[in-house]
Amino acid sequence: MAKRRIMKGIPAAVGIALGAAWLAGCGQSEASGKVEVELVSYKPEAVEAFEEIAERFNEAHDDIHLTIDSPNEAMTILKTRFIREDYPDIVGIGGDINYSNFLDADLFMDISDLEETGMVKQSYLDMDKELEFIPQEGIYALPYAANAAGILFNQDMFEEHGWEIPETWEEFTALCEEIDASGIQPIYLGYKDTWTCLAPWNALAVGLTDSDTCSQVNMGNTTFSETYRETAEKMKDLLAYAEPNPYAYGYNDACTAFARGQSAMYPIGSYAIPQIKSVNPDMNIGSFPFPANEREEDNVLNSGIDLQFCVMKNTENKEAVYEVLRFLYEDETIQIYLDSQGGISCKMGEFELSKELEGMKDYIENDRMTDYQDHHYPSEMSVDAMIQTFLLDDSEHAVDTFLQRFDTDWKRYNRDLIRKVQQYQQEEEEVQ
Amino acid sequence: MKEKKKTNWVLTIVLILGTVTVFFPLYMAVIIAFKQPSEMTNDVAGALAFPAKWSLDNFRQAMEVTDFWRSLGNSLLITLTTIVLAVLLHSLAGYVIGRGMAKKKSFRVIYLYIVSGMFVPFSILMMPLVKQTAQMGLGNRAGVILLYLVFYMPMNVLLYTGYMKNIPMALEEAADIDGASTWKTFWKIVFPMMSPMHATVAILTALGTWNDVMTPLVILSGTGQNTLPLAQLNFQTQFGTNYNLAFASYLLALIPILVFYIICQKQILNGVANGAVKG
Amino acid sequence: MKRKMANREKTFWAVTIPVLILFFTFNTLPMIKGVIYSFTNYRGYGTYDYVGFRNYMDLFTDARVGKSYLFTFKYALAGTVLVNVISLIMALGLNSQIRFKSALRGIYFVPNILGGLVIGYIFSFIFTYILPAVGDMFGIGFLQNSILASEKYAWIGVLIVGVWQAVAMNTIIYISGLQTVPQDVYEASMLDGASKWKEFWKVTLPLVLPFVTINLVLSTKNFLMVFDQIVSLTKGGPAQSTESISYLIYKNGMDGGQFGFQSANAVIFFLVIVAISIFQMTVMNKKEEQL
Repeated sequence: MAKRRIMKGIPAAVGIALGAAWLAGCGQSEASGKVEVELVSYKPEAVEAFEEIAERFNEAHDDIHLTIDSPNEAMTILKTRFIREDYPDIVGIGGDINYSNFLDADLFMDISDLEETGMVKQSYLDMDKELEFIPQEGIYALPYAANAAGILFNQDMFEEHGWEIPETWEEFTALCEEIDASGIQPIYLGYKDTWTCLAPWNALAVGLTDSDTCSQVNMGNTTFSETYRETAEKMKDLLAYAEPNPYAYGYNDACTAFARGQSAMYPIGSYAIPQIKSVNPDMNIGSFPFPANEREEDNVLNSGIDLQFCVMKNTENKEAVYEVLRFLYEDETIQIYLDSQGGISCKMGEFELSKELEGMKDYIENDRMTDYQDHHYPSEMSVDAMIQTFLLDDSEHAVDTFLQRFDTDWKRYNRDLIRKVQQYQQEEEEVQ
Repeated sequence: MKEKKKTNWVLTIVLILGTVTVFFPLYMAVIIAFKQPSEMTNDVAGALAFPAKWSLDNFRQAMEVTDFWRSLGNSLLITLTTIVLAVLLHSLAGYVIGRGMAKKKSFRVIYLYIVSGMFVPFSILMMPLVKQTAQMGLGNRAGVILLYLVFYMPMNVLLYTGYMKNIPMALEEAADIDGASTWKTFWKIVFPMMSPMHATVAILTALGTWNDVMTPLVILSGTGQNTLPLAQLNFQTQFGTNYNLAFASYLLALIPILVFYIICQKQILNGVANGAVKG
Repeated sequence: MKRKMANREKTFWAVTIPVLILFFTFNTLPMIKGVIYSFTNYRGYGTYDYVGFRNYMDLFTDARVGKSYLFTFKYALAGTVLVNVISLIMALGLNSQIRFKSALRGIYFVPNILGGLVIGYIFSFIFTYILPAVGDMFGIGFLQNSILASEKYAWIGVLIVGVWQAVAMNTIIYISGLQTVPQDVYEASMLDGASKWKEFWKVTLPLVLPFVTINLVLSTKNFLMVFDQIVSLTKGGPAQSTESISYLIYKNGMDGGQFGFQSANAVIFFLVIVAISIFQMTVMNKKEEQL
């Protein structure tokens, strides 16, 4: 009797289990004689271009089937898939701190035996090298497309007033004064979204500091207080030319305002162009690298790898994967991607540049490019929010407070890394 | 008795005026859902103005982008199954724990143990859960449902045990004397009496599951099964958001749950009309 | 009779044990794993080392974490009080003899189901453009700048939206609580000629007290774990003044590489909320028993 009663308590649990089994049975399975290659890309906005590329690839190959998935929140998905040990064959990610971390976690395969790695523009290979926490032997990523940041401007407005593209910081500030005097807002900032603070920050910093600043700090050779002072001061100077209280307006507000002709310039990256054009499709947008220095020849274009392909170490089909990479790196394939997404090819050769980026062409062709500084910042340090805090700080010592905080926080957030780097250095010295 | 039926007009008007706090933002959402991206502006008058053209095009496009019927089907399947199982299982648990608590300390401890589960930040559970569900073969819709049952258990147990305090023991004792088993007493007598609370639990559970992004994102990724909120992520990328399509899609997603809520509200009132709950 | 009770207890356990197993497997077990991670420098993937109590020591010296606790508690206290007062009034209103009852209940429920993207856009627009325009028009200095851009007041903006959304849920619970109050109690008090005010304090409130407990616990928890509103309105800004604990745990633990450290933060946070809630429930239980 008693036993029966106990038994009766269980149906609910059993029901759940049965339901679970039933639903699990719905999972699909596909079987074909082909080698499956799965590529997960972190750019959902490029889904259509990828679909076309995958289709073309599959038409041309009857032994390999390529699936390209570009989900939303791809980084979260990738991380959870790594936890599940459910690895794709190839990942398409940006050349940023995530790449450094994944590489450091030993997830990627050395692809230096792939010929295509020899066709990459040198500056992008260098950027990837600099993203390695500990210098590695070999090549672990195939840079694909890059974006660039500097200043976008309203071409019609510039022509109408006869304003000239500034090449030095002095010319830039003079231009801002001139625009201001004509009753137009020189620049618009969307600092409510803290990450937009990084756009001018990076664009200024590439011109004013060395590209390997962060690793130099990790090695104990310099401090941010020494290297970032000028960048910080110029960030403050920019505020004078922006709308009052830029912390009230977000990225989207700034894009809309610029598109509606509420400002002549907008310090942001090429990635903002589609959003601006969605509001004003007919707008003529021009661009130029941030004139951060007093001399034109010191200026560098801020450009970073927006998409690169890395092969997961666990892949079982190296040959098929290489075939996919070769296909992706054909000029024609790259052009499909660029036509849909804009941006700059990381492969050497002639590719059509979107007309908005014409103003940056010289820099691109002469390889005068340096990576975003923030690609080296750990995201948990929230440098973007620190910059916003600094800009909101009206006190006299704002710059000092900020730079000091940068140095102390850097040490705190990179503690394990710094230890690792210095350990590596010691070992290197011992070997020598 | 007749006097009680008299409508309180002052209160009605106050409450109607109060709906401005809902209608104003809702109005903005609706007009944005009808506008084109090129009509977006930062100008107050422009933002509040009617769209140039009232066309359902955004809604049609939004449905296309989100693969609406399929995503809706998944969302409905997950939400409805969760609700049904939650009402059955959690009411039972709430009843047992609520009644047990009154007599025994051990049930009080169990109550606190389960309720405290509500306060575990999801972020800390996420990683281990992803691994665990994958190992158990639960990286699918069933896994999501199961997780919801556990996530909402603390809140629902809290609600049901709280409700039990207001349901007198007398009826159960009478049934007991009649020789009915506890199991039977629960389903035949207590369960129906809980109906206002069932409706409340159903609404709150539905609310939580319907809009949830995180759980399906990490559990269902790679299975090809999208829920509506997952599909709606399509409107947002790091550097651009199509607010017009997104708003159209959100308004569409709002309808099923609103209908469900209104049905449940009736249920809450019916509970009283039936006189099921008496002091 | 004794046998009967023993059987009843057996049924109770037969229900409780499977429930406990389920709960343990998908809540406590992963939590234990999280606690283990809190003693490591795990980034969420790859290899990691055990670092002892370093994460916990760091927690107490981390200014950002400290600031997030201050913000969260300030926010939760104000939010809980506001939401409970407003919801109770709303529930009483929506439960009395009014017209368009269903429609009104439906309308007031809408804020709770609007997605984060909609809320974020609409309210940012209201705070950034509409309120300052109103401020300009009537010369109200306080409104002239977007409060979301003010280090001092941004939390109030988040609070307004948080309360606006939360009222619906707590109102539902209060309404269902009011259903348990038998009509004859009101009839009796009417005969006594008690005023509405007195009726509320003497009759209604004591009877819905278990629901006040529930609502207090739930709203405290929801406000302490505030996340969605932060993401859609301020993303922790301006000047990191609205970083809530949950936001920090999620952003740095999941997006960033601080999984281990933020797990420690989550563990401490968990203990703090449990302590608060048990305190609330104990106090309220005493109140319930007194009546």
